[in-house]
Amino acid sequence: MNSELTIAMPKGRIFEEAYQMLIDAGFNLPEEVEMSRKLMIEFPEENIRFILAKPMDVPVYVEHGVADIGIAGKDVLLEQQRNVHELLDLKISKCYIASAGLPNTSMNEIAPRIATKYPNIAMSYYKEIGEQVEIIELNGSIELAPMIGLADRIVDIVSTGRTLKENGLVEYEHITDVSSRLIANPVSYRMKSERIQEIVSRLKKIVK
Amino acid sequence: MSSIKKFEKPLGMRDTFPLTYEKIERVRQTGRKFFRSRGFDFLETPTLEYYDTVGKASAISDASLFKLVDSQGNTLVLRPDMTTPITRVATSKLLKEKIPLRLAYSANVFRAQKMEGGRPAEFGQMGIEIIGDKSVFADAEVIIAAIHLMKEFGIESFKLTIGHAGVLHDILDDYTDSKDQKEKLRNLLVERNYVGFEEAVEQFDLPVTKSNALLQFINEATNSASIEAMEKYVRKNDGLEYMKQLSKIIEDSDLSEYVSFDFTLSSHMNYYTGMLFEIFAYGSGFPVGSGGRYDGLLHLFGCDVGATGFSIRTNRLLEVLPEYEEQEETVCIIFDEDGFSKALAVATDLRQQGARVTIQSRSGLINEEAFTKLFSRVVYVSQEEGQ
Repeated sequence: MNSELTIAMPKGRIFEEAYQMLIDAGFNLPEEVEMSRKLMIEFPEENIRFILAKPMDVPVYVEHGVADIGIAGKDVLLEQQRNVHELLDLKISKCYIASAGLPNTSMNEIAPRIATKYPNIAMSYYKEIGEQVEIIELNGSIELAPMIGLADRIVDIVSTGRTLKENGLVEYEHITDVSSRLIANPVSYRMKSERIQEIVSRLKKIVK
Repeated sequence: MSSIKKFEKPLGMRDTFPLTYEKIERVRQTGRKFFRSRGFDFLETPTLEYYDTVGKASAISDASLFKLVDSQGNTLVLRPDMTTPITRVATSKLLKEKIPLRLAYSANVFRAQKMEGGRPAEFGQMGIEIIGDKSVFADAEVIIAAIHLMKEFGIESFKLTIGHAGVLHDILDDYTDSKDQKEKLRNLLVERNYVGFEEAVEQFDLPVTKSNALLQFINEATNSASIEAMEKYVRKNDGLEYMKQLSKIIEDSDLSEYVSFDFTLSSHMNYYTGMLFEIFAYGSGFPVGSGGRYDGLLHLFGCDVGATGFSIRTNRLLEVLPEYEEQEETVCIIFDEDGFSKALAVATDLRQQGARVTIQSRSGLINEEAFTKLFSRVVYVSQEEGQ
């Protein structure tokens, strides 16, 4: 079946890497895409359509089936637990989720507080290690929280560790590794299985 | 919590407006005619059931159940599925009268609210159950009925993906070292997390032959492999033999184009013991239906006769149904005060011709123009003359 395939792509840093991967996999896409403010790009030669979404929103589009496949970070998938198929680890945008805090501190014994962008991941991690914590959800500049006494620890993405260091924080526990994944909607996965399997096998060859 | 506004309904609840109502009704009628013509008997069970019986036996997770307490202090649930209540009725009563049973239903089921849209907490389900027949022909009957029903609805582009819980169970069993490992892999397949599956296999520290076999299996099975290709992974062959027979029957019925096999298919419903399948169609991001053999559920109700069935979610079916224009004449008779009996006579006449007729007094109308615009024909009646 040669119907159009809609791919939800994460805007920003991951886009460049993911796009390059598609080109490397032999898809007939222009070297440069003029992104500007566009939210949708059509590539008639390949019968592919991109929708450009915030990384956090990619699984939403895919789960509801308005995008057939998408590229999403494992952090987002873990946090949202959406009903999508996880087909391939693209091994790009590698980083990890860790807990961090001020050096040489221990957590408050009565009600340890954790500031994070990832409430579900943080909650299930501390549950797993037998620690009941209180979660404070923040949307950015998480490092501030321990510095000014809002939380004992933060749970956040770490790629180089520079942000932590610059803010005088140290890493405590490595929680899980993160990289970008190719995900698919369950219905598209069946109804457009040939096209999707082809993309998977072509990408698989160039995953490092 | 913000206070509840007057127009609000509880989270996840929906009103069914006339246009949608007609669509749903058409679906129900089509389904009813279809199932009855195949010898299935319709039945209804109560909306409320005991938590300890239906609630616990149902495969729907505890967190998704609507629970309430009756005046005796028993916990009740709003039925979360139809298969479990029907199993209750069948095992306690109906099976004594007829075996195998062919039962059908069309009813609303309830699953706890979700914050995100697109997931109603109450939705219609329509389906069939064949209880008391362990043969492959019962499974084939279910699958064939599912395919024919989709065609009956005029849906052209759809697919059934069929797997087998027993075969998958055996494969995972053979190539792992512990129950925990097996459970973990099974759960990853329920989530369709193939990346996680491969990672887990590598982490388990299994003998190379085992881990290679698992990795090869996941690769091959997800790439629409044939039943024969699975043979090298299983020691006991009865599950695969069964699937071959099933596949042969479907082929003989000329329906192979609608089915594909995927032996990684796995459901959170752990009472599925044999073949299981999901129905996919263009137009909805979610499967429109699912089914399978659930001998395990009958076991929970102390009965060992075997059962199989499938159901379709009407709300998702509506998303994939082809457009259908209802050709229906709607007539409005507007009468003046002295023209009522005349209006009645005209209405009876028109109704006999098959029209939908509304009679409305002119004096009762606030905005005549706006009202009459909603009808395909307007008839004015006063005493002296007809039209």
